[in-house]
Amino acid sequence: MNKDKINFKNLILSKINRKLTLLFIIVGFVAPALAIYYFYTISIESFAVDITNDQTNLLRTIAAGILILIAIDAGFIGFLISKTISKPIKELCDATHKVDKGNYSIRLETKSCDEIGELANAFNKTTANLAKIREERQEIDRAKTEFLSITSHELRSPMTPMKAQLQMLIQEYFGKLSKDQKKSLEIIMRNADRLDNIISDFLEISRIEAARLKFNFQETDIAQIVEETIDFMKAFAKEKNIKLTTQIETLPIIEVDSGRLSQVLRNLVNNAIKFSERNSKIEISTKLDKDCILFSVRDYGCGLTYENQIRIFEPFYQVESAARRKHGGTGLGLAICRGIVESQNGNIWVESKPSKGSKFSFTIPLEPVRDIKPIKVLFSNKNTIERKIKEEFKTVLGPLGQYEFDELKNKNAIDKNELEGYINFLIEKFIISNKCGEDFKSRINKIFGNEKDIINNNYDSYSEYNKGELSI
Amino acid sequence: MSKKILVVDDEEDIRKSVQKILEINGYDVLTANDGDECLKKAEEFKPDLILLDIMMPGISIDEVVKQLKNIKIAFMSVVRISDARKRGLCSQDNIMDFFQKPFNVNDLIDRVELILNEYQT
Repeated sequence: MNKDKINFKNLILSKINRKLTLLFIIVGFVAPALAIYYFYTISIESFAVDITNDQTNLLRTIAAGILILIAIDAGFIGFLISKTISKPIKELCDATHKVDKGNYSIRLETKSCDEIGELANAFNKTTANLAKIREERQEIDRAKTEFLSITSHELRSPMTPMKAQLQMLIQEYFGKLSKDQKKSLEIIMRNADRLDNIISDFLEISRIEAARLKFNFQETDIAQIVEETIDFMKAFAKEKNIKLTTQIETLPIIEVDSGRLSQVLRNLVNNAIKFSERNSKIEISTKLDKDCILFSVRDYGCGLTYENQIRIFEPFYQVESAARRKHGGTGLGLAICRGIVESQNGNIWVESKPSKGSKFSFTIPLEPVRDIKPIKVLFSNKNTIERKIKEEFKTVLGPLGQYEFDELKNKNAIDKNELEGYINFLIEKFIISNKCGEDFKSRINKIFGNEKDIINNNYDSYSEYNKGELSI
Repeated sequence: MSKKILVVDDEEDIRKSVQKILEINGYDVLTANDGDECLKKAEEFKPDLILLDIMMPGISIDEVVKQLKNIKIAFMSVVRISDARKRGLCSQDNIMDFFQKPFNVNDLIDRVELILNEYQT
């Protein structure tokens, strides 16, 4: 009963025009009622005594009839008036929802010059500004990638004569060198090489970020690529007497860029060799995993702490500065691997325990992704989102939250769908209550929602907006 | 008689470096600093091989390559071979190799030797 009452109230009061119509009916009823009441009493008095009962009744009926007519009339007029007010408000409301979804090209028509017209004007101005800001941000983003690409090329040019002259000196083109001279030149050479590696990695990143990464898909026998890559890496493993073993399941022939696949594998195996002790082993395995192929590289080296596991795919993050000096490398290898794997809709992650070794895994889909999307490698906003999500985890799950979050992060499962699945799992297992879970979900969604605009700040969603522009 | 190589690059330091490397290894080396000079010297000296930078001011590289159909060419560039292919630069038969800058001196010598020997046979 109570519920019905509320519904009735909602039914009337949820819409401006219904509210106003009701108000007009009431006013249209009360005002003439008062007028007629006075008119009636005054006329009764002025008719003196000889007024008959019939006449009184007639007067009363007429009065009531007039009252009802006026009320209906007032209600009708009220409905029309309120419609003119509520219609533009409804339009404004719809438009705001569209802006929320990222359609900044929407404009309201301003027919009237009253407050509502002003509001519509202000709305149009604000939306135009938002569109401008977004455009500027995209421009900055493009400029960043462009800058990276241009500077890398410009840095590379002087490397050419530098390295050429250095090599000529070392190879004694210009006469014999003393031992010390040779040593000094070798140090220069080694660092020139390192600088050059950083520059080429930067170029690679600028390609990934601008979706200019080229994939040359060909039907390939994955097993052969893996074997070839591992054979190539054996030469490096030999220096530390590390054994490389492969375990390859029978795999379907799929279309893949063998160069890129080999690049990622080489990188992971190279890292594994770097962080392995002498005389240890590295296991490389490849198998079919649902609709993708799963590659993993397992080493028995020094392993990674939680903190390191989480940050290992960040650009320039290296486990220790001492290790960096010892192992060389640019600190961009894994970030590039992530870029390559993710631009093929694959996943890359690490499982590890300090002093027990690490296992790096990545997947590639059976169907190649030809429409390459830009992936943010440098200055990605992933960190901000992840920090916020981590806070939520800690609020909901307490100290356990941190651990759970890290676990998910290691599996690279910090995306909207994966998190939703995870929260559903928590609810199923009665770890958190249903309501708590739903709240958790909506807050997580909000974090992604808030950042949506930034995440979508790439060219493919840009074309979506353009489509929106055409339809309006 | 030693083989003649024309080195074309708009950067003097690169020209000089490559010239020195090749001269020490027994080649006759001429240099040019842009496409126009390259065409002029190619006409005049009939080199056995042209080492050609892809990005130079002046006449477009496509035009230069089109006019040099009878001389072996190897590109030198900071961009990658895939980018050059995309621009349709590597389609001609006389284009023999692609040296990614910065190159390795020994590698350069080995590959130049290979190209010139192939040419002979």
